[in-house]
Order: sequence, then C-alpha cells, then structure tokens
Amino acid sequence: MKKNANEVSRRDFLKSGAIAAGAIAVIGAGTFVLDHEAAKSMPREGFLRPPGAIEEEDFLYGCIKCGLCVQICPVHAIKLAGAHEGLGYGTPYIDPREQACDFSCDALQCVETCPTSVLDFKQFKETGLRAVEAAAAEPGVDMSQVNPFEVQKVAMKNAVKIGKAVVNKHTCLAHAGKPFKGVSRGTDFSGILRSPNDVNSSATPLRDREYDQDICHLCVTECPIGEKAIVQVRNRNGRKLIPRVLDGCTGCGVCEMVCPTEHASIVIEPF
Amino acid sequence: MNTTYFTNGKNKAALAPKSVEQMPHSKAGLSFTDWRDARKKNHKWRNIRWAILVFMNLLFVLSFTFDLAVLEGSLSGSRLIGFYLMDPYNSLQLLAVSSRTGYITMLTMNFWIGLTTILLFWAVLGGRSYCSWMCPYHFISEWAEKLHLFLVKKKKISERSFNRGIRFVILIGFVLLAFLTKNLVFENLNVVGIVSKAMIYGPSLLLLWVLFIILVEVFLSRRFWCRYICPIGTTWSLVGHVSPLAVKFDLEKCGYCLECQKVCLVPHELWFVKRGTATQDEHYVGSDCTRCGLCIDVCPGKALSYSIKGASAVL
Repeated sequence: MKKNANEVSRRDFLKSGAIAAGAIAVIGAGTFVLDHEAAKSMPREGFLRPPGAIEEEDFLYGCIKCGLCVQICPVHAIKLAGAHEGLGYGTPYIDPREQACDFSCDALQCVETCPTSVLDFKQFKETGLRAVEAAAAEPGVDMSQVNPFEVQKVAMKNAVKIGKAVVNKHTCLAHAGKPFKGVSRGTDFSGILRSPNDVNSSATPLRDREYDQDICHLCVTECPIGEKAIVQVRNRNGRKLIPRVLDGCTGCGVCEMVCPTEHASIVIEPF
Repeated sequence: MNTTYFTNGKNKAALAPKSVEQMPHSKAGLSFTDWRDARKKNHKWRNIRWAILVFMNLLFVLSFTFDLAVLEGSLSGSRLIGFYLMDPYNSLQLLAVSSRTGYITMLTMNFWIGLTTILLFWAVLGGRSYCSWMCPYHFISEWAEKLHLFLVKKKKISERSFNRGIRFVILIGFVLLAFLTKNLVFENLNVVGIVSKAMIYGPSLLLLWVLFIILVEVFLSRRFWCRYICPIGTTWSLVGHVSPLAVKFDLEKCGYCLECQKVCLVPHELWFVKRGTATQDEHYVGSDCTRCGLCIDVCPGKALSYSIKGASAVL
C-alpha cells in the first residue's frame, strides 16, 4: 500500500526528532558528569570573580556570559574564561597580577550592569544607603557639607569581598628587610591603576611610576582601601617593618599587581 | 484584522494556473529564459542587508575596543545606548534554571525590560529578520552555502535534507536540559554567541565547534544549522507569527520560474510560487521567513516585495 505524504513526513519527523532528542540526552548526561567531575577536580584556586559575585555554584547557573561587566570596566580588569575552564567557559574572572580592580570606576559599575544579578548589586546599594543614613545620624554633622555620593561610594567599595590578600613571607622584600627603588613591574607592563593619593580621576600605567622606599611597602602605599585593609607594622621582635593584611581587605588585587618580586609575594585568595 | 493574517490561505483550494498569454514574459514580449535571467545579477537588498549586518556587529566590536558605549555586550545580552536587550532563547533557558534554583526573583528589572524590548522590536520587524540582518553566523553561513552549492553543482556531493521539526525538539530539549542540569548548556554550543563573543572579546577554542558546523554545512547539508538546529532562529520564528513586516507575493507578476525558492533559506515558506498552488492573488511569506530579501532581488517579475501585513485594510 502506498503511504500518503503526511504519513511519510510524520515518520520522518519521529525518526529525526528521536535522533535530536538522543543527542540532547547525551549532551545533558555529559554536562551532568562534567559538572560533578569539575566540582571534584577543579576547586578553582585563584579563580577570582568580579565584585559582588554570588556563590560560585549559583554564579555558574545564572551567568549568561554576555560580557557586559567586561565592557564597562574602565581598567579592563575583567576577562572571560576560555574553553579550558570547562563549564565555566565564558564566565568573567579577574587576574589581578595582570590587571587588578583598582576601583577607579568609583561605583562598582560591573556589578550594577549585570542583568542577571549574579553580580548582585542590591547588597551594595543597601550598604551604601545605610552608610549615608548613618553619616546623617551622627551628631554634629552638617549634611550640607557632606557629599552623600562620596559616603555611599566608599561604603560600597569597602563592602566588596573578592577574596583576601595573603603575604608570602619567604619572598616578600619587606620580610627580608629589603628596599625597593625603580619601576615595579618593568617598563613593558601594561597594567594601570589609580593610586589612593592620585589627583587624577583616571587610572595611569604602573610603568610610569617610580618608587623609592627604604623598606618595600608598595602594597600598603597603593592599596585603594587604605589602613582598614593593609598596614605596615613592626614584627614581633620589632626589628622588621612588614605589611599586615587586615579584615577590611576586599581582595581587589592591587597589591598583587604592584608587588615587584618575580612572582607576587602577596596574592589574593578567593573565599 | 482579517482571518488570513495568520492562515495565509494555506487551507483553501488552489486557483487555476495562468495561461501562456497571462504570463509576465509574454506580456513583456520576451522568451521565458531571457525574462527569467534578467535579474540574476541584482543584489540590492542583499548588499543593504550585509552592510547593516556588518555595521551592527562592528558596532559591538568598536564599542568594546574604543569604549564607545553605544552597543555594549554581545548578542547574548547587550546594552544599546544604556537600554538593555536580552536574547530571548538565552533568557528562556535562564528562566528554566532560575525557577529551579529559586533565583528567578533576583533577576533585575533591566533583564525584564531588555527581554520585553527586544521581543517587541523584532515582533514589529519580522522575528527571524534577526537571523539575516543581525546574526554574524548567518553571514558566515551564506558564504558556506555558496561553496556548498558550487560543490553540488560540480556533483562532488549530493544534497541532503532533514525534517524541519527537529528544531522544535531542540528548542524544547535544551530548555528542559537547562532545567534538569541547572546549566545554560546550549550556550556552550551556541555558534551565534560563540562567533559574536569571539569577534568582540577575542577568539576561543570553541571556534573549533563553529568550524565543525561550517564544514557540515559545506559538505553535508545546505544551511544545516539555520534550517534544522538553531533554537534562537526557531524562537524568532515563533515571534514572526505576529509580525506585520513580511514579504508579499503578487500572483499576477509571477512567472512560475521558482528562482526565489532556489535562493531561499526556507523554501517551504514559498509554497505558493509553484504553478497551480497559489490559493489567493496575494500571499505573505510565513513566519520562518528571515526577510533577507534574496527572493526579492532575484524575482524576474518583481512579484515579491517587502510589505506590511494588513496595511491595505487600515489605510
């Protein structure tokens, strides 16, 4: 019996549809396995997310890899991960040794721009607003003299938790009691930053800065957070001046970028 | 609104075919082949479309390279002078994932505004117009198609076609997969996103996957990805159902030469051009149409043209 055209096309559809469904099932199973293997074998050491990133697991679920955070960053600190990152492919990360987040955008624009809020701006907004309220509530403060945006901005910046800096005592120049003189990362280093004391409103190349310190403390000098995050202190026997990282450290990584030793003696460890 | 806005006369009885005297080549006093080949070198709409496609994609690249802040992001999600635009299929997967993880309430207002804006925009401009006027992979694919057709012509390879229904299996399958694995799985296979991001942020290893798909299109099946796989195109095709902008077919000017079907990405949507199949004097090309204009360029009788559905009823 001759089959009619409708019947043929229905069978055709069922056949190719089944192949497609099979392919999707295989891809799904592959993703599932990879996901679980990746969770075991790749603890993502040193893989720093941009400010405000939610928990890594949820981050991977929600990031649509659009790259808007990459685009908005004025110092291009955020990069997109390559295929070797497995399922994290295309997600944003920061490599502070190459280019740290120096907060020269002032207002956490990467977080604000994220459409799926895996970089969650709500928390910073609330922190900022609370800080303004607190400033206004303080006795003897004339709010007309205070720029609320400044207050908000500083509070938001301080609330960032990318990771925390850790000093390697064995290679740190200060721990060896050594000075540092000259350009920190060589004249061909492309990283840029805005120093806390800079009058410039935008970041400038690190290679244009000459340092001259009897005991090296570039990490302390250039920290955008300041004394809440890192200070120069005497060690226990009082003989050495060394950098000490405090709880206020945001993990922005400026210290890691400016550190003059061959391998950074102060590195950011993600939480 | 008239009832044929959606049905387009597909289930009506066919009109009687035209007689030789009624054919456009007879009216013009030409032989059929001379009449048919007259507009083979006409590429007006294709050139306009390529210019816009290249310009828009260049705008993405330049916005990043020179901090222009005009069109930021990529085709997965972007900001046009500050207004968000979200890819709907990507968003659909994200909604599947986030409804599972409870993250759905965290999505920003910008996300919802961006999704609505882009849906409205392309709903007006034709749904799959996105494919031929924006998609960088479509552009690459058009060149792969040329190579493929050359090889077919030289009889090096034979043409293979598949059932178009696969697209809907893929569309639903990957949304389900997103829900089950809590991962935007399709994004790792999305050649549109990969090409777009490679142009803007620099190449990645995943371009090998794109190369593989291109090779499939060159050696195996014409426009394989666009015709049978791409769920982004399928999503836009669904949007295209309501779109007023469509290609209009005028039976009176048609000479049954089928040149339009030969260049078309979705020839099934031009079902009415074959002799004795049209059921109305005018037809609109259906929702799978990418409004690319290749048929308009090639049609010897100018029987096809861009048009706004229902405009004649309103005006």
